[in-house]
Amino acid sequence: MSAPTPTARAPHPGSARAAVRPAGLGRPLPRYVALEVRRTLRDGGFVVMGAVMPLAMYLLFTNLGITDAQDRAGYARYSMVGMAAYGALGAALAVGGGVAEDKGHGWLRQLRVTPLSPLQVVTGRALTASVTVLPAIVAVLTAGALADGVRLAAWQWAATAVLLWLGTLPFTLLGLGNGYGLTGQTTSVANTACMMGLSVAGGLWIPAEAFPHWLAALSRWTPTARYGDLGWSILDNRAPGLGTVAVLAGWLAVFAGYAVLAYRASARTA
Amino acid sequence: MATPSNAVRLAQVRKKFGAVPALDGLDLTLAAGETLALLGRNGAGKSTAINLLLGLDEPDAGRVELFGGPPHAAVAAGLVGAMLQDARPIPRVTVGELTAFVASTYPLPMRPAEALALAGIAELAARRVDKLSGGQAQRLRFALAVTGNPALIVLDEPTAALDVEARRAFWRSMRGYAARGNTVLFSTHYLEEADENADRVVVVDRGRAVADGTGEQIKQRVGGTLVSFDLAGRGSEGLRSLPGVTAVEIRGDRAVLRTGDSDATVVALAATDRVRRLAVTPASLEDAFLTLTAGTRPQGEGPPSGEPAGGAAAGGAAGSAAPHLEVSR
Repeated sequence: MSAPTPTARAPHPGSARAAVRPAGLGRPLPRYVALEVRRTLRDGGFVVMGAVMPLAMYLLFTNLGITDAQDRAGYARYSMVGMAAYGALGAALAVGGGVAEDKGHGWLRQLRVTPLSPLQVVTGRALTASVTVLPAIVAVLTAGALADGVRLAAWQWAATAVLLWLGTLPFTLLGLGNGYGLTGQTTSVANTACMMGLSVAGGLWIPAEAFPHWLAALSRWTPTARYGDLGWSILDNRAPGLGTVAVLAGWLAVFAGYAVLAYRASARTA
Repeated sequence: MATPSNAVRLAQVRKKFGAVPALDGLDLTLAAGETLALLGRNGAGKSTAINLLLGLDEPDAGRVELFGGPPHAAVAAGLVGAMLQDARPIPRVTVGELTAFVASTYPLPMRPAEALALAGIAELAARRVDKLSGGQAQRLRFALAVTGNPALIVLDEPTAALDVEARRAFWRSMRGYAARGNTVLFSTHYLEEADENADRVVVVDRGRAVADGTGEQIKQRVGGTLVSFDLAGRGSEGLRSLPGVTAVEIRGDRAVLRTGDSDATVVALAATDRVRRLAVTPASLEDAFLTLTAGTRPQGEGPPSGEPAGGAAAGGAAGSAAPHLEVSR
């Protein structure tokens, strides 16, 4: 390191010890992620919105009102992916609520006076979301297998879970954009609106086939419909289509740009 | 002074927010190992100066250097720790978890337990941050500033909202960290805090440094006691030479003497039979700044008679929300 050493800094009793990194202090980024994951999972509101709600809605939707066994098994498969996607979407967006809370506490400024770089802070946030989306995905898929008797090949379970996990990235960036760009109160409103609007329009709750024609056409262009497609295509024994990948990549670029702009704006004012 | 031995250097720094100048050509240097207090009223520019030297904001003009380089380089190298005025620790984590995380971001941190002990909250490591009292949260913020073992800590009004006992404990912690050979810069609007805890005091007013010296020197210039009485038609001659008097000011028919020894001054006044509606009051923040900002007048000469009446009223209005400088013992 070329960091200048203050010449007048007197040697002190602790200096010999200070030269050795204390045990138990890992690299900063994993520690930051661990801290934020703990903080997120200790938030009762997050646990309800990010795991309990999608699980409860899944069990409710698949066990009420449908009498025909054939229909019911088909809907259980469809809804398993839909509700896992809905829960993961909410958990990914929630990262923005954390950022807004940090901003409200002045914590983003405090982080800026630590050696942690701004890129590390944002990366840490995104990695946090990559962990906190897992409870929703795991809970709903497990409920599908155990409570609703959904039967899939082992590779299908693995592929569905992994694709639903990877597919949260655009929504994490959308959440980061909301968190950096908006104040605490408006962030939670914006996140809720995004979560509800995108879930419904994307057909995560009710299949898009049941939509009016115009809404069904629109639905194909939403990131959530294509996100759900990642899982639904696996149920159909095929890889996600090129169109799905292209639309998701487009939204990924849009939300990444939004997150970068919002971050820059907040760095100017925060 | 050789640049590398300066921990902090601000040269002719200017910063405006809208049309309002927050810093108006501030000069400030701080040698490594030194403890310096920035003393000033609310709105004097202390926080702006601190934000600039931490790299949280950019100056409109002038130079800002930490350890001979730009602030962000010193921050990235882990040479700086800070207690910001309006940064509160985040909820739903424990004191120990948060301190360990901040320590991990520095290249050569101290053990988190050591930082908590230095801050006097070793027993609170397992406590959730949101369950802390105001004073405990303040100490946690100090622990977060020092746990990286940085060469420089910057504390923006660190004792605001603390009671007397907590203040005393806080300054003990700060002096403990300074005694390890570290550099400390803190801001305050209490002259006594500045005097008791800093090697050097820089008084900031309206974005400029208006005085720079040891606490003793500053106290002589801004401190003391005001002895006032009605002149009752008699002139002001001879007042300047009364025992203890450092400055004389005439406000209408009333004389205001600034004195370092009010007992001796009053006894001498009584001996000359000049006691009329006598008042002995500690010099207030506004009085102190009127003296300092009266310009380049040599020390000891009072402001021109009559002038401060309007100025004092304006100063009182501007500073009425701020605690007064505490200059009495």
